[in-house]
Amino acid sequence: MTGNEFLSGYPAKLMEYALAVGYLILFIPFWRYVQGAKAARQRVAAHAPARAAAPSGLAGWFHVPENVHLHPGHTWARMEQDGSVTVGIDDFAHKLIGRVAALALPEAGGRVAQGEPAIQLAADSKTVGLLSPVDGTVVAVNRAAAEEPGRLEDPYGKGWLFRVKAPRFAANVRQLFSGAAAREWLEGASQALAARLSPQLGHVLQDGGTPVNGIARELDPEHWDEIARTFFRT
Amino acid sequence: MNSNATTAPRTWFRENILLGMSWIDYAKSLLTPFNAICAFICVVGIPLLLYRFYAGLGATTNLSQTQPWGLWIGFDMMTGIALAAGGFTIGAAVEIFNLKDYHAIERPAILTGFLGYLMAVVGLIADLGKPWNMVGIFTYNGTRSVLFEVAWCVACYTTVLFLEFAVPLFEWLGMKRFYQPLRKALLALTVLSVMFSTMHQSALGSLFIIAPGKLYPLWWSQWIYAFFFITAVVAGISMVIVESAISHRVFHAQLVGRHVDADALTLGLAKAGAVVLFAYFFLKLQGVIDAHAWGSVKGFLGAWWLVEMLGFILLPALLYAYGARNRKVKAVRVAAVIAVLGIIVNRLNVSIIAWDYANPNHYVPSWMEIWVSLTLVTIGVLAFRWIVNRMPVLHDPADLAAAGH
Repeated sequence: MTGNEFLSGYPAKLMEYALAVGYLILFIPFWRYVQGAKAARQRVAAHAPARAAAPSGLAGWFHVPENVHLHPGHTWARMEQDGSVTVGIDDFAHKLIGRVAALALPEAGGRVAQGEPAIQLAADSKTVGLLSPVDGTVVAVNRAAAEEPGRLEDPYGKGWLFRVKAPRFAANVRQLFSGAAAREWLEGASQALAARLSPQLGHVLQDGGTPVNGIARELDPEHWDEIARTFFRT
Repeated sequence: MNSNATTAPRTWFRENILLGMSWIDYAKSLLTPFNAICAFICVVGIPLLLYRFYAGLGATTNLSQTQPWGLWIGFDMMTGIALAAGGFTIGAAVEIFNLKDYHAIERPAILTGFLGYLMAVVGLIADLGKPWNMVGIFTYNGTRSVLFEVAWCVACYTTVLFLEFAVPLFEWLGMKRFYQPLRKALLALTVLSVMFSTMHQSALGSLFIIAPGKLYPLWWSQWIYAFFFITAVVAGISMVIVESAISHRVFHAQLVGRHVDADALTLGLAKAGAVVLFAYFFLKLQGVIDAHAWGSVKGFLGAWWLVEMLGFILLPALLYAYGARNRKVKAVRVAAVIAVLGIIVNRLNVSIIAWDYANPNHYVPSWMEIWVSLTLVTIGVLAFRWIVNRMPVLHDPADLAAAGH
């Protein structure tokens, strides 16, 4: 390399660094643009009423819409358009418990943690807890559902329970079941439940009939709360 | 099908080679315009290939002492090997990165790769002559030579591709004893294929490192081996998109009843293509800065370089991104075609158009060279069609069994 070329190395290095930095700056929006298709689909799903999405996701006896993520403790989480995460109990939990007399929810401004108890359902002077599917701060509570637990008949729609600002949602969602995995897992849970059914109840359920609401209470009116706790992991 | 066909004995040969037809019906089924064109190309091309071995390079090509590499190296070898990279790209995605969705396109990708390599090797032999001397590469210990690496890797990888292709081949022949161990060995074979491909795809680029004065500065870079490897990945992804689009149209009957979401796979591949091409565009710019070659962006070759950069790298990158984001499969397919053309343009630029650019008697291939290359591509396409029509390539019997068919 001659002296002249050696000197020209400095502007060349400057250009190389500028190009590398420019590339990295441009790559971020490019990457987000390319990966954006999935998010766009999720937004569309969030706009649509939850009930409309429900029939597509039949997991045997219990349904699960495409756009919710299920926690193994039978609660669900759904990312909303405004970035908050809605939480509720899944169809399995609803049908297992059946009619609920009272509902205790966390206060707005309170904190919930993934896998920690956050919801209390009461019926027949017994209470059962359910776990929060995500970490975060509660920003809204569905007062209407707390006052009128009949809204749980629509567990993914009107029966939503509270909204959370969930900064760790991306990490939380890895612990949840979505799409085909959610249906598969729910299928497994319904099989575990079917195995517990007594032959007397079997003719209602195992011949393909839809389970009655309040299966746990039908199974064992005295200790239904214990059955529910095994499924809800509380 | 006439009555003669239905009454004839249903032998294995008839079922599996003649697709259940009699000889006469089968011959009639071959009478199509596409086959007529292919037959014409081959009827002229195969004797030309033999003539080259009889009369030598001087009689058939425009090669000279100053231009020893022509179309058979630049197109058949350099381009053919890059376009056949789908085998290792998809193989690695499925077997190593566990992207099982892409399993549906693994077999056609491997078959494309295998036939691509075979045709590239035939093109190489046409260039080298004296095929019996090829054993020399295995006995001569030229470990310092890039060509030695290319020869060994291409030989080893073609063998690996054959073993991977042998899975559907033995399934078709009903030889369970052979294909089951091969099926189990598929992961190991894929690891080997990634290793060999990484080595020789980049080594094909390394061949040009020693000639900075001969190759136009905009294409020469000390990183050219990395560019060759990256473009091989792009070529692999793009060829799989193009090939699966054509397969879907041509072999539609074989895909009935299969629940593979080909559009989702195409869109997934488009994301990969977009990101790799985008990064490659900037790496190429980095190469130009590194080689202090900005001053060469002038004249015909400078303009042609810009066409390659903007039209065949940046444009397909953006089109892939647009297609992937907006779920436009057609846009992705157009991007794939442009990307494939871009790889062909790049390899021809490096090995022919921008090569030996200062020579006033620049090489232009003879019609016989072009015809032989065209013949090899045609044979590859015909072989692909023949195999796909018979062997379980577009469908894996294990998938069907799992689905309860």
